[in-house]
Amino acid sequence: MNARVRVAIAVVLLLALPSVVHSDFVLTIFVFSFLLGMLAVSFNLIFGFTGQLSLFHAAAFGIAAYATHLAMQHLNVSFWIAMLLAAALVVALSLMLGTLCFRFRLKEFYFAVVTLAFSEMARLIVLNWNSVTNGSLGIVLQEKPMLWIPGQGLVKADSTLIWYYLSLLALALTVLVCWRMVHSWMGRCFAAIRLNDELGDVLGINVFRYKLAAFAAGNLFAAVAGSLYAYYLGFIEPGFLSIDQSLAIVAMVLLGGRGAVAAPIIGAFVLTALPHVIDLGAEMRLMVYGSILILNILIMPQGIYGAFVALRRHRHVA
Amino acid sequence: MGQLILGQLLNGAIIGTLYGIVALGVTLTFGITGIVNFALGAFMMLGAYMTWYLTDGVGMPYPLAVPCAVAFTALAGLVTDQALFRFTRNNLINGLLVSIGLIAVMEAAVQLVWTTTPKDMHYVLPGVVSFFGLVVPEMKLVVFLVLLSVIFATYAALTRTWIGRAAYAYAQNPEAAELMGVRTKLLQSGVVVYSTGLAGLGGALYTSLYSLEPTLGSPYILKAVEAAILAGIGSVMGSLFGGVILGVTESIGSLYLPLAFRDAYGLVFLVLILLFKPLGLFAGKR
Repeated sequence: MNARVRVAIAVVLLLALPSVVHSDFVLTIFVFSFLLGMLAVSFNLIFGFTGQLSLFHAAAFGIAAYATHLAMQHLNVSFWIAMLLAAALVVALSLMLGTLCFRFRLKEFYFAVVTLAFSEMARLIVLNWNSVTNGSLGIVLQEKPMLWIPGQGLVKADSTLIWYYLSLLALALTVLVCWRMVHSWMGRCFAAIRLNDELGDVLGINVFRYKLAAFAAGNLFAAVAGSLYAYYLGFIEPGFLSIDQSLAIVAMVLLGGRGAVAAPIIGAFVLTALPHVIDLGAEMRLMVYGSILILNILIMPQGIYGAFVALRRHRHVA
Repeated sequence: MGQLILGQLLNGAIIGTLYGIVALGVTLTFGITGIVNFALGAFMMLGAYMTWYLTDGVGMPYPLAVPCAVAFTALAGLVTDQALFRFTRNNLINGLLVSIGLIAVMEAAVQLVWTTTPKDMHYVLPGVVSFFGLVVPEMKLVVFLVLLSVIFATYAALTRTWIGRAAYAYAQNPEAAELMGVRTKLLQSGVVVYSTGLAGLGGALYTSLYSLEPTLGSPYILKAVEAAILAGIGSVMGSLFGGVILGVTESIGSLYLPLAFRDAYGLVFLVLILLFKPLGLFAGKR
């Protein structure tokens, strides 16, 4: 069975799922997994494929969530226009931050620390700019985006079913674009940068440009995920931009696997669904989350997808 | 105004030594094992809770409870080193993630045992000292002096003893150090355990000043990492200066600029240092 057939089967199964499962509870888990999956996949473009540990991802997500709301409120535009404006803002910010970091050749840990510093500053601004962001209380979002659905005309996106398909579409687009990028000349430049950026530089790859491209593209999808997430949840708060959120994204990627474009989705799904599947108190949930992270790194550093691939290869050899 | 500034300077310096003691652990662990142990904040929290439990729960006198809590924290550090960090040596990202998982586990454990309700210990030294018109609580001065002497003692041990030379040799060239008879595995575990003990001491002293919550360590570990980088990671006295600079920047900054952005001043400072002096303020000096 080749890869195309497997992808087709996965897509058909996901498309058909709501006709079998009618539980809003289950579909909600899927919607959250898809939106967080977008975050994980786009983060993996920066981290897994280009080798830059960015901790700005949650900030891109949260800034877009707030910017979408503010654009809708103050500029009187529709959700979709606001989402584009928010994405443009995030891309502009990440181009500035990326230029700063990559011009000064910040690498590895230092890059992580500087991106973390900027996302903390963004969080502090959101937390303390009470007149605009309502501070730590957050904002309840009443509006829902309008969608055009064939045969029904303009529909307000207020059912879980609509959101299921909307978020699935957004995730599919993210995976498709990231897949195209990774499997092109650009992707080979990313790989060269990840493996040895000085060598890449010597070989004539514009390291600065491709690092910046990966960083901006990853944050762009994080921004779109942020806008959708905020309006699906109907609530935004400064916690969206917190370090914990960035680290949760890292955890999803490592659990799913870094090696394939779509692998982080597995991690996003497991970490989103797990707290709902096993009913535990908040403390035990935190403990399970921490243990998964630790065991994941120590026992299965290649993630679920990587372990699966290794298992198959092992069986082929045997 | 002059007094206010002087008071804030002193306050910043005292908080700064608390950052510094955790930063020292960060720096030592990074220099010898190549990872940044973010769980040091959680070890600080553990030390703080143990101290509170031993004094208010068991009824030990505070000066006895502190070393017991530090020993307990170091023991916990030894367990995590043997069970977890032994497998992530020189792997920055794996070490980072394991330590983050460990924070979740430790915070959850403390929440299970002692709940999330903030805990306050009785006053150990309720008196105040006043000089030049400044009023400083006695306990703050004691904390300041204890932390300073521990940092100086660590510095002395690293520069004057055989173990210190072994550690420096290892940091410069692990293979050569091993060939010269340094027991590198023991050294690595020892440094990890010592660092957790330092964080535990920071926590034990913290108990006498502020109230405890399970998440008390996270701001401190961030500040400690900032302080360690500020000074140039790997520098022992630098971690003290880094911590003090950070503490003073925050205290003075919050006098003139909005208090809400207190945490941001250090970050701005850190970014500038990393951009223009990436090896830290004290690069080249040990």
